[in-house]
Amino acid sequence: MILIGMLLLYLAIKKNFEPLLLVPIGFGGVLANIPGAGLAEAGGILHLFYTVGIESGAFPLIIFMGVGAMTDFGPLLSNPKTLFLGAAAQFGIFATLMGAVLLSTFGIFDFSLADAAAIGIIGGADGPTSIYVASKLAPDLLGAIAVASYSYMALVPLIQPPIMRALTNESERKIKMTQLRHVSQREKVIFPLLLLILVAFLLPDAAPLLGMFCFGNLMKECAVVDRLSNTTQNALINTVTIFLGLAVGSKLSADKFLDFTTLGILLLGMVAFGIGTACGVIMAKLMNKLGGSQINPLIGSAGVSAVPMAARVSNKLGLESDPHNFLLMHAMGPNVAGVIGSAVAAGIMINYVAG
Amino acid sequence: MESSSLMNDGLTLMLFGMGFVFLFLTLLVGATTLMSRIITKYEKNVGVLPEDGVPSPTAVIPRHGPLANPHIEDKTLISVISAAVHKYRSRHK
Repeated sequence: MILIGMLLLYLAIKKNFEPLLLVPIGFGGVLANIPGAGLAEAGGILHLFYTVGIESGAFPLIIFMGVGAMTDFGPLLSNPKTLFLGAAAQFGIFATLMGAVLLSTFGIFDFSLADAAAIGIIGGADGPTSIYVASKLAPDLLGAIAVASYSYMALVPLIQPPIMRALTNESERKIKMTQLRHVSQREKVIFPLLLLILVAFLLPDAAPLLGMFCFGNLMKECAVVDRLSNTTQNALINTVTIFLGLAVGSKLSADKFLDFTTLGILLLGMVAFGIGTACGVIMAKLMNKLGGSQINPLIGSAGVSAVPMAARVSNKLGLESDPHNFLLMHAMGPNVAGVIGSAVAAGIMINYVAG
Repeated sequence: MESSSLMNDGLTLMLFGMGFVFLFLTLLVGATTLMSRIITKYEKNVGVLPEDGVPSPTAVIPRHGPLANPHIEDKTLISVISAAVHKYRSRHK
């Protein structure tokens, strides 16, 4: 198990895979497995981090606040239709849930509905959301789920392009999108409040995640609390990431991590991610069929929420087909829509399974 | 028996979940569009120049000398451009 921790460290340092997360997770994994030191057992420091931050659900929520403070809803507001792309990409989550349920029906794995839900959420490609849901529904699987979701976030540039190429043809990839209109600051201030009101009325279970997200975003956009907003975006999110990483790492102990189930979770996570990408692209093509202003299907894949990697991948593929077609800003719309979508999906899962 | 109920639960959750995600985001699209429209309308009436009024250029430093002629042209050019910019901004907010 110490070797796996070292492998994660190697991937982070040498291969630059999500180093911000894999360094603390890998090191936490190494620390947790030092025989006799008991860092990850009751009374140990890593166990303490875990209890305080993850079991309580606090760390993922604080990170979500920071993500909110870093998010610009401008592209989304100027083209609200892209929210549908973010919704479609969440199909990966539910399809995988179904896959996990099927696998345990056939007796290959032994997942409960709660486990299946927590595994499915990997398809949202949203680290904090996955950890939040896993800590609520399937704490046993938390280590594997966290590692899976963060590794897929890092693997976005490898997993997505083949799927996107297979589903689109050259002329679709060349579609130019209309210039985004200017979004006023007033709209940007009101949007998080609007989102919050909708969440409060319709889905209180998503309120912890989306509430913190909206709060972070409001702090950024209202422009009167720059000090708070800067702290949230930088110092706070970094501090929490360190402890979150160590605490997740402490779950990488041999008896729980090195088994068949982990492998299953990694596989299912990959499937979830692929289906999500595909659905986003297909949705974009469908929306083009229905009329309205044309959408380049490449931005559909950005509906999985890995911000901003997924949007960068869309941009890169767009440039390959047409070196003058910059899709980055267009892709940020579905990208942040994906964050909202996966938080909504998480709320539904928690509501249905736990409630 | 137990496994079929797990299947059912999974299927229900999938349909219900996907339906709800779409419903929620559709509502959000509607609400956002409405909000943007209201704000755009409201902002159009704030700080708009009088109809057809050509705004006076604010940052033209008067200069004298042999090069006076080109300056007059500059002035008209600047007022034309600033009028266009104002019109564009008030329309595309």
